[in-house]
Amino acid sequence: MSDDEKRARFERLVLPHLDAAYSLATWLVRDDAQAEEAVQEACLRAFRYFDGLRGDEARPWLLGIVRNTCYTLLQRARQDGAPLPFDEEGCGEDAVAAGAVVSFPLNPEAAAIREADRESVRGALRALPVEFREAVVLREIHGFSYREIAAACEVPIGTVMSRIARGRRLLQHALGARAETKDTGT
Amino acid sequence: MNCPDAVRLMNAYVDEELDAASVLALEAHLRGCARCRARADSLHALRSGVQRHTEFRMAPTSLRDKVQARLGHLESVPAGATRRRVAMGAAALAVVALAAWTLRGTLEPAPANVARGTGKVVYHVSSSQNAGAALRTLRNHLEASPETKVVVVAHNEGVDFLLRGARDESGQLFATAVRQFKDRGVDFRVCNNTLVRRRIDGGGILPEATLVPSGIAEISRLQEREGYTYMRM
Repeated sequence: MSDDEKRARFERLVLPHLDAAYSLATWLVRDDAQAEEAVQEACLRAFRYFDGLRGDEARPWLLGIVRNTCYTLLQRARQDGAPLPFDEEGCGEDAVAAGAVVSFPLNPEAAAIREADRESVRGALRALPVEFREAVVLREIHGFSYREIAAACEVPIGTVMSRIARGRRLLQHALGARAETKDTGT
Repeated sequence: MNCPDAVRLMNAYVDEELDAASVLALEAHLRGCARCRARADSLHALRSGVQRHTEFRMAPTSLRDKVQARLGHLESVPAGATRRRVAMGAAALAVVALAAWTLRGTLEPAPANVARGTGKVVYHVSSSQNAGAALRTLRNHLEASPETKVVVVAHNEGVDFLLRGARDESGQLFATAVRQFKDRGVDFRVCNNTLVRRRIDGGGILPEATLVPSGIAEISRLQEREGYTYMRM
Protein backbone atom coordinates (compact mmCIF):
# COMPACT_ATOMS: atom_id res chain seq x y z
CA MET A 1 0.00 0.00 0.00
CA SER A 2 1.44 3.40 -0.91
CA ASP A 3 1.62 6.13 1.70
CA ASP A 4 -1.17 8.02 0.00
CA GLU A 5 -3.40 4.98 -0.08
CA LYS A 6 -2.61 4.27 3.53
CA ARG A 7 -3.42 7.81 4.56
CA ALA A 8 -6.65 7.81 2.56
CA ARG A 9 -7.70 4.51 4.09
CA PHE A 10 -6.77 5.76 7.55
CA GLU A 11 -8.79 8.92 7.09
CA ARG A 12 -11.76 6.94 5.84
CA LEU A 13 -11.73 4.19 8.45
CA VAL A 14 -10.19 5.70 11.56
CA LEU A 15 -10.62 9.47 11.64
CA PRO A 16 -14.43 9.31 11.75
CA HIS A 17 -13.91 7.89 15.24
CA LEU A 18 -11.90 10.86 16.43
CA ASP A 19 -14.86 12.18 18.41
CA ALA A 20 -15.28 8.84 20.15
CA ALA A 21 -11.55 8.81 20.84
CA TYR A 22 -11.68 12.27 22.39
CA SER A 23 -14.81 11.50 24.33
CA LEU A 24 -13.28 8.39 25.89
CA ALA A 25 -10.00 10.18 26.61
CA THR A 26 -11.73 13.01 28.48
CA TRP A 27 -13.39 10.46 30.75
CA LEU A 28 -10.19 8.52 31.32
CA VAL A 29 -7.68 11.31 31.95
CA ARG A 30 -10.33 13.77 33.17
CA ASP A 31 -8.59 16.77 31.72
CA ASP A 32 -9.43 18.25 28.33
CA ALA A 33 -5.91 19.34 27.41
CA GLN A 34 -4.43 15.98 28.38
CA ALA A 35 -7.21 14.24 26.49
CA GLU A 36 -6.19 16.12 23.35
CA GLU A 37 -2.58 15.08 23.91
CA ALA A 38 -3.61 11.48 24.35
CA VAL A 39 -5.74 11.47 21.22
CA GLN A 40 -2.99 12.97 19.07
CA GLU A 41 -0.50 10.48 20.40
CA ALA A 42 -2.97 7.62 19.92
CA CYS A 43 -3.70 8.62 16.31
CA LEU A 44 -0.04 8.64 15.45
CA ARG A 45 0.38 5.23 17.08
CA ALA A 46 -2.71 4.00 15.30
CA PHE A 47 -1.32 5.17 11.98
CA ARG A 48 1.92 3.36 12.67
CA TYR A 49 0.11 0.09 13.43
CA PHE A 50 -2.62 0.67 10.90
CA ASP A 51 -1.61 -2.27 8.73
CA GLY A 52 -2.64 -4.51 11.61
CA LEU A 53 -6.27 -3.38 11.42
CA ARG A 54 -8.57 -5.93 9.82
CA GLY A 55 -12.06 -5.32 8.50
CA ASP A 56 -14.30 -2.64 9.89
CA GLU A 57 -13.44 -3.00 13.56
CA ALA A 58 -11.80 0.42 13.49
CA ARG A 59 -13.74 1.89 16.36
CA PRO A 60 -12.89 -0.59 19.14
CA TRP A 61 -9.41 -0.87 17.66
CA LEU A 62 -8.77 2.89 17.83
CA LEU A 63 -10.37 3.21 21.24
CA GLY A 64 -8.17 0.39 22.50
CA ILE A 65 -5.14 2.40 21.42
CA VAL A 66 -6.57 5.58 22.96
CA ARG A 67 -7.13 3.72 26.17
CA ASN A 68 -3.57 2.38 26.29
CA THR A 69 -2.23 5.86 25.56
CA CYS A 70 -4.33 7.31 28.37
CA TYR A 71 -3.09 4.67 30.78
CA THR A 72 0.49 5.50 29.85
CA LEU A 73 -0.24 9.18 30.49
CA LEU A 74 -1.82 8.41 33.85
CA GLN A 75 1.09 6.19 34.84
CA ARG A 76 3.59 8.83 33.85
CA ALA A 77 1.72 11.39 35.92
CA ARG A 78 1.85 9.06 38.87
CA GLN A 79 5.59 8.43 38.50
CA ASP A 80 6.26 12.14 38.27
CA GLY A 81 4.69 12.46 41.67
CA ALA A 82 1.83 14.48 40.31
CA PRO A 83 -1.41 14.04 42.22
CA LEU A 84 -3.19 10.87 41.31
CA PRO A 85 -5.64 11.75 38.59
CA PHE A 86 -8.29 9.43 39.89
CA ASP A 87 -9.72 8.79 43.31
CA GLU A 88 -8.87 5.26 44.20
CA GLU A 89 -9.35 5.52 47.91
CA GLY A 90 -12.56 4.20 49.27
CA CYS A 91 -13.73 2.59 46.09
CA GLY A 92 -11.17 -0.09 45.36
CA GLU A 93 -12.10 -3.68 44.80
CA ASP A 94 -12.50 -4.42 48.50
CA ALA A 95 -15.04 -1.69 48.91
CA VAL A 96 -16.86 -2.99 45.86
CA ALA A 97 -16.83 -6.55 47.07
CA ALA A 98 -18.20 -5.45 50.42
CA GLY A 99 -20.95 -3.38 48.86
CA ALA A 100 -21.71 -5.67 45.98
CA VAL A 101 -23.00 -8.67 47.83
CA VAL A 102 -24.27 -7.35 51.12
CA SER A 103 -26.47 -4.39 50.42
CA PHE A 104 -28.87 -4.58 47.52
CA PRO A 105 -30.91 -1.62 46.51
CA LEU A 106 -34.63 -1.53 46.96
CA ASN A 107 -36.83 1.00 45.28
CA PRO A 108 -35.83 4.02 47.39
CA GLU A 109 -32.42 3.76 45.83
CA ALA A 110 -33.89 3.72 42.32
CA ALA A 111 -35.86 6.80 43.28
CA ALA A 112 -32.74 8.53 44.62
CA ILE A 113 -30.87 7.69 41.43
CA ARG A 114 -33.70 9.04 39.29
CA GLU A 115 -33.55 12.29 41.19
CA ALA A 116 -29.77 12.55 41.13
CA ASP A 117 -28.70 15.74 39.39
CA ARG A 118 -26.19 16.13 36.62
CA GLU A 119 -23.32 17.10 38.92
CA SER A 120 -23.83 14.11 41.22
CA VAL A 121 -23.98 11.64 38.37
CA ARG A 122 -20.93 13.03 36.61
CA GLY A 123 -19.03 13.33 39.87
CA ALA A 124 -19.78 9.73 40.79
CA LEU A 125 -18.68 8.53 37.35
CA ARG A 126 -15.48 10.57 37.48
CA ALA A 127 -14.69 9.12 40.88
CA LEU A 128 -14.87 5.49 39.71
CA PRO A 129 -11.60 3.56 39.49
CA VAL A 130 -10.43 3.92 35.94
CA GLU A 131 -11.05 0.35 34.76
CA PHE A 132 -14.66 0.42 35.96
CA ARG A 133 -15.09 3.93 34.61
CA GLU A 134 -13.91 2.99 31.14
CA ALA A 135 -16.22 -0.02 30.99
CA VAL A 136 -19.23 2.05 32.03
CA VAL A 137 -18.31 4.96 29.73
CA LEU A 138 -17.83 2.68 26.74
CA ARG A 139 -21.14 1.00 27.44
CA GLU A 140 -23.32 4.00 28.29
CA ILE A 141 -21.80 6.88 26.37
CA HIS A 142 -20.31 5.09 23.39
CA GLY A 143 -22.94 2.36 23.15
CA PHE A 144 -20.32 -0.39 22.91
CA SER A 145 -21.41 -4.01 23.18
CA TYR A 146 -19.64 -6.24 25.71
CA ARG A 147 -17.73 -7.80 22.84
CA GLU A 148 -16.50 -4.41 21.63
CA ILE A 149 -15.48 -3.37 25.13
CA ALA A 150 -13.61 -6.66 25.51
CA ALA A 151 -11.80 -5.94 22.23
CA ALA A 152 -10.93 -2.36 23.15
CA CYS A 153 -9.74 -3.23 26.66
CA GLU A 154 -8.14 -6.53 25.67
CA VAL A 155 -9.88 -8.47 28.43
CA PRO A 156 -12.28 -11.43 28.35
CA ILE A 157 -16.02 -10.73 28.18
CA GLY A 158 -16.43 -12.09 31.71
CA THR A 159 -14.12 -9.35 32.96
CA VAL A 160 -16.14 -6.74 31.08
CA MET A 161 -19.30 -8.01 32.75
CA SER A 162 -17.83 -7.89 36.22
CA ARG A 163 -16.31 -4.44 35.68
CA ILE A 164 -19.62 -3.05 34.49
CA ALA A 165 -21.44 -4.67 37.39
CA ARG A 166 -18.96 -3.34 39.92
CA GLY A 167 -18.84 0.08 38.35
CA ARG A 168 -22.62 0.37 38.43
CA ARG A 169 -22.77 -0.97 41.95
CA LEU A 170 -20.40 1.82 43.05
CA LEU A 171 -22.43 4.41 41.18
CA GLN A 172 -25.66 3.20 42.74
CA HIS A 173 -24.04 3.33 46.12
CA ALA A 174 -22.63 6.82 45.55
CA LEU A 175 -25.91 8.23 44.23
CA GLY A 176 -28.11 6.47 46.75
CA ALA A 177 -25.81 7.48 49.60
CA ARG A 178 -25.66 11.05 48.40
CA ALA A 179 -29.40 11.31 48.41
CA GLU A 180 -29.59 9.85 51.92
CA THR A 181 -27.09 12.40 53.20
CA LYS A 182 -29.15 15.11 51.64
CA ASP A 183 -32.28 13.77 53.30
CA THR A 184 -30.80 13.56 56.78
CA GLY A 185 -29.56 17.13 56.38
CA THR A 186 -33.05 18.51 56.02
CA MET B 1 -33.64 -19.36 38.96
CA ASN B 2 -32.65 -18.10 42.40
CA CYS B 3 -31.72 -14.56 43.46
CA PRO B 4 -27.91 -14.92 43.28
CA ASP B 5 -28.23 -16.20 39.71
CA ALA B 6 -30.61 -13.38 38.85
CA VAL B 7 -28.22 -10.81 40.30
CA ARG B 8 -25.33 -12.31 38.39
CA LEU B 9 -27.20 -11.97 35.09
CA MET B 10 -28.89 -8.68 35.75
CA ASN B 11 -26.36 -6.30 34.21
CA ALA B 12 -26.18 -8.37 31.05
CA TYR B 13 -29.97 -8.35 31.10
CA VAL B 14 -30.33 -4.56 31.24
CA ASP B 15 -27.59 -4.30 28.61
CA GLU B 16 -29.48 -6.72 26.37
CA GLU B 17 -26.47 -8.96 26.20
CA LEU B 18 -28.25 -12.01 27.56
CA ASP B 19 -29.24 -14.99 25.44
CA ALA B 20 -32.96 -15.56 24.93
CA ALA B 21 -33.25 -18.56 27.24
CA SER B 22 -31.64 -16.69 30.13
CA VAL B 23 -33.86 -13.68 29.47
CA LEU B 24 -36.94 -15.87 29.79
CA ALA B 25 -35.66 -17.53 32.96
CA LEU B 26 -34.69 -14.21 34.50
CA GLU B 27 -37.98 -12.55 33.62
CA ALA B 28 -39.87 -15.47 35.15
CA HIS B 29 -37.85 -14.94 38.32
CA LEU B 30 -38.50 -11.19 38.26
CA ARG B 31 -42.25 -11.74 38.11
CA GLY B 32 -42.08 -13.64 41.38
CA CYS B 33 -39.42 -11.64 43.22
CA ALA B 34 -40.08 -8.05 44.25
CA ARG B 35 -36.57 -7.64 45.58
CA CYS B 36 -34.98 -8.52 42.25
CA ARG B 37 -37.50 -6.36 40.42
CA ALA B 38 -36.30 -3.47 42.58
CA ARG B 39 -32.71 -4.31 41.69
CA ALA B 40 -33.52 -4.30 37.99
CA ASP B 41 -35.44 -1.07 38.42
CA SER B 42 -32.48 0.52 40.14
CA LEU B 43 -30.17 -0.55 37.32
CA HIS B 44 -32.51 0.86 34.70
CA ALA B 45 -32.66 4.11 36.66
CA LEU B 46 -28.89 4.22 36.84
CA ARG B 47 -28.43 3.58 33.14
CA SER B 48 -30.86 6.27 32.12
CA GLY B 49 -29.40 8.70 34.69
CA VAL B 50 -25.87 8.19 33.42
CA GLN B 51 -26.99 8.53 29.82
CA ARG B 52 -29.02 11.61 30.56
CA HIS B 53 -26.29 13.44 32.43
CA THR B 54 -23.27 12.59 30.33
CA GLU B 55 -22.66 13.14 26.70
CA PHE B 56 -20.55 11.98 23.88
CA ARG B 57 -17.94 14.70 23.58
CA MET B 58 -16.99 15.93 20.17
CA ALA B 59 -13.34 16.49 19.45
CA PRO B 60 -12.51 20.19 19.08
CA THR B 61 -11.97 21.16 15.44
CA SER B 62 -8.46 22.23 16.36
CA LEU B 63 -7.68 18.68 17.49
CA ARG B 64 -8.87 17.22 14.20
CA ASP B 65 -6.70 19.75 12.39
CA LYS B 66 -3.69 18.94 14.53
CA VAL B 67 -4.04 15.21 13.96
CA GLN B 68 -4.46 15.64 10.22
CA ALA B 69 -1.53 18.02 10.09
CA ARG B 70 0.69 15.58 11.94
CA LEU B 71 -0.39 12.70 9.74
CA GLY B 72 0.07 14.81 6.63
CA HIS B 73 3.52 15.70 7.82
CA LEU B 74 4.40 12.07 8.44
CA GLU B 75 3.51 11.06 4.94
CA SER B 76 4.51 14.08 2.97
CA VAL B 77 8.17 13.23 3.41
CA PRO B 78 8.96 10.53 0.83
CA ALA B 79 11.13 7.71 2.11
CA GLY B 80 14.08 8.84 0.01
CA ALA B 81 13.94 12.33 1.42
CA THR B 82 14.43 11.23 4.99
CA ARG B 83 18.20 11.29 4.78
CA ARG B 84 18.22 14.77 3.36
CA ARG B 85 15.78 15.93 5.98
CA VAL B 86 18.11 14.96 8.79
CA ALA B 87 20.51 17.61 7.64
CA MET B 88 17.90 20.34 7.64
CA GLY B 89 17.72 22.85 10.41
CA ALA B 90 14.68 23.35 12.61
CA ALA B 91 13.51 26.30 10.56
CA ALA B 92 13.60 24.27 7.37
CA LEU B 93 11.65 21.50 9.10
CA ALA B 94 9.00 23.99 10.03
CA VAL B 95 8.78 24.96 6.36
CA VAL B 96 8.33 21.32 5.40
CA ALA B 97 5.54 20.98 7.95
CA LEU B 98 3.90 24.11 6.66
CA ALA B 99 4.25 22.95 3.07
CA ALA B 100 2.69 19.60 3.95
CA TRP B 101 -0.18 21.37 5.63
CA THR B 102 -0.70 23.72 2.70
CA LEU B 103 -0.53 20.85 0.25
CA ARG B 104 -3.18 18.96 2.16
CA GLY B 105 -5.26 22.10 2.11
CA THR B 106 -5.03 22.20 -1.66
CA LEU B 107 -5.78 18.55 -2.20
CA GLU B 108 -8.68 18.43 0.16
CA PRO B 109 -10.21 21.83 0.66
CA ALA B 110 -12.02 22.07 3.95
CA PRO B 111 -15.71 21.47 3.31
CA ALA B 112 -16.86 24.68 5.02
CA ASN B 113 -20.32 23.35 4.34
CA VAL B 114 -22.12 25.57 6.75
CA ALA B 115 -20.40 28.75 5.66
CA ARG B 116 -21.09 28.02 2.02
CA GLY B 117 -24.70 27.37 2.82
CA THR B 118 -25.10 24.41 0.51
CA GLY B 119 -23.68 21.65 2.66
CA LYS B 120 -24.92 18.64 4.49
CA VAL B 121 -25.24 18.76 8.23
CA VAL B 122 -26.22 16.15 10.77
CA TYR B 123 -27.75 17.39 14.02
CA HIS B 124 -27.23 15.04 16.92
CA VAL B 125 -29.92 15.37 19.59
CA SER B 126 -29.21 13.24 22.64
CA SER B 127 -30.97 15.11 25.41
CA SER B 128 -34.64 15.90 25.72
CA GLN B 129 -33.91 19.28 27.31
CA ASN B 130 -32.01 20.40 24.23
CA ALA B 131 -34.61 19.45 21.64
CA GLY B 132 -36.39 22.82 21.69
CA ALA B 133 -33.11 24.69 21.36
CA ALA B 134 -32.02 22.32 18.59
CA LEU B 135 -35.12 23.08 16.54
CA ARG B 136 -34.67 26.83 17.07
CA THR B 137 -31.07 26.54 15.91
CA LEU B 138 -32.19 24.47 12.96
CA ARG B 139 -34.78 27.09 11.98
CA ASN B 140 -32.15 29.87 12.08
CA HIS B 141 -29.72 27.68 10.25
CA LEU B 142 -32.16 27.02 7.40
CA GLU B 143 -33.09 30.67 7.21
CA ALA B 144 -29.44 31.60 6.82
CA SER B 145 -28.75 28.84 4.30
CA PRO B 146 -31.96 27.30 2.94
CA GLU B 147 -30.13 24.88 0.64
CA THR B 148 -28.48 22.99 3.47
CA LYS B 149 -29.47 19.35 3.69
CA VAL B 150 -30.07 18.54 7.35
CA VAL B 151 -30.51 15.16 9.00
CA VAL B 152 -31.51 15.14 12.66
CA VAL B 153 -30.43 11.98 14.47
CA ALA B 154 -32.15 11.43 17.81
CA HIS B 155 -30.49 9.19 20.33
CA ASN B 156 -30.77 8.48 24.07
CA GLU B 157 -33.16 10.94 25.76
CA GLY B 158 -33.01 12.97 22.56
CA VAL B 159 -35.71 10.75 21.03
CA ASP B 160 -38.33 12.15 23.41
CA PHE B 161 -39.32 15.09 21.24
CA LEU B 162 -40.16 12.72 18.39
CA LEU B 163 -42.68 10.79 20.46
CA ARG B 164 -46.34 11.35 19.68
CA GLY B 165 -47.81 14.01 21.95
CA ALA B 166 -44.44 15.44 23.04
CA ARG B 167 -44.52 19.16 23.77
CA ASP B 168 -41.85 21.85 24.00
CA GLU B 169 -41.22 24.20 26.95
CA SER B 170 -44.10 26.42 25.94
CA GLY B 171 -46.55 23.55 25.59
CA GLN B 172 -46.53 23.44 21.78
CA LEU B 173 -46.62 20.04 20.14
CA PHE B 174 -43.24 19.17 18.66
CA ALA B 175 -45.14 17.32 15.92
CA THR B 176 -46.12 20.62 14.27
CA ALA B 177 -42.56 21.86 13.97
CA VAL B 178 -41.29 18.43 12.93
CA ARG B 179 -43.85 18.28 10.11
CA GLN B 180 -42.83 21.75 8.89
CA PHE B 181 -39.16 20.82 8.90
CA LYS B 182 -39.92 17.56 7.15
CA ASP B 183 -41.69 19.54 4.41
CA ARG B 184 -38.54 21.61 4.00
CA GLY B 185 -36.54 18.43 3.42
CA VAL B 186 -35.16 17.82 6.90
CA ASP B 187 -34.88 14.12 7.79
CA PHE B 188 -35.49 12.87 11.31
CA ARG B 189 -33.91 9.55 12.24
CA VAL B 190 -34.40 7.73 15.50
CA CYS B 191 -31.97 5.31 17.14
CA ASN B 192 -33.66 1.93 17.43
CA ASN B 193 -31.16 0.76 20.05
CA THR B 194 -32.47 3.57 22.23
CA LEU B 195 -36.07 2.48 21.70
CA VAL B 196 -35.26 -1.13 22.54
CA ARG B 197 -33.27 -0.16 25.58
CA ARG B 198 -35.89 2.23 26.86
CA ARG B 199 -38.70 -0.12 25.90
CA ILE B 200 -40.38 2.46 23.71
CA ASP B 201 -42.70 1.08 21.08
CA GLY B 202 -41.76 2.11 17.53
CA GLY B 203 -45.40 3.01 16.93
CA GLY B 204 -45.06 5.85 19.43
CA ILE B 205 -42.68 7.69 17.13
CA LEU B 206 -43.98 10.48 14.89
CA PRO B 207 -44.62 9.27 11.34
CA GLU B 208 -42.23 11.93 10.01
CA ALA B 209 -39.32 10.14 11.69
CA THR B 210 -37.66 6.98 10.45
CA LEU B 211 -35.88 4.33 12.49
CA VAL B 212 -32.19 3.53 12.07
CA PRO B 213 -30.55 0.57 13.83
CA SER B 214 -28.05 2.72 15.76
CA GLY B 215 -28.00 6.50 16.07
CA ILE B 216 -24.26 6.68 16.63
CA ALA B 217 -23.55 4.37 13.69
CA GLU B 218 -25.84 6.51 11.53
CA ILE B 219 -23.98 9.68 12.51
CA SER B 220 -20.64 8.02 11.78
CA ARG B 221 -21.92 6.81 8.46
CA LEU B 222 -23.22 10.25 7.45
CA GLN B 223 -19.91 11.85 8.37
CA GLU B 224 -17.75 9.14 6.93
CA ARG B 225 -19.56 8.10 3.78
CA GLU B 226 -21.65 11.11 2.90
CA GLY B 227 -19.50 14.01 4.01
CA TYR B 228 -21.91 15.45 6.55
CA THR B 229 -20.75 18.07 9.02
CA TYR B 230 -21.56 17.21 12.61
CA MET B 231 -23.52 19.51 14.91
CA ARG B 232 -23.97 18.57 18.51
CA MET B 233 -27.24 19.78 20.05
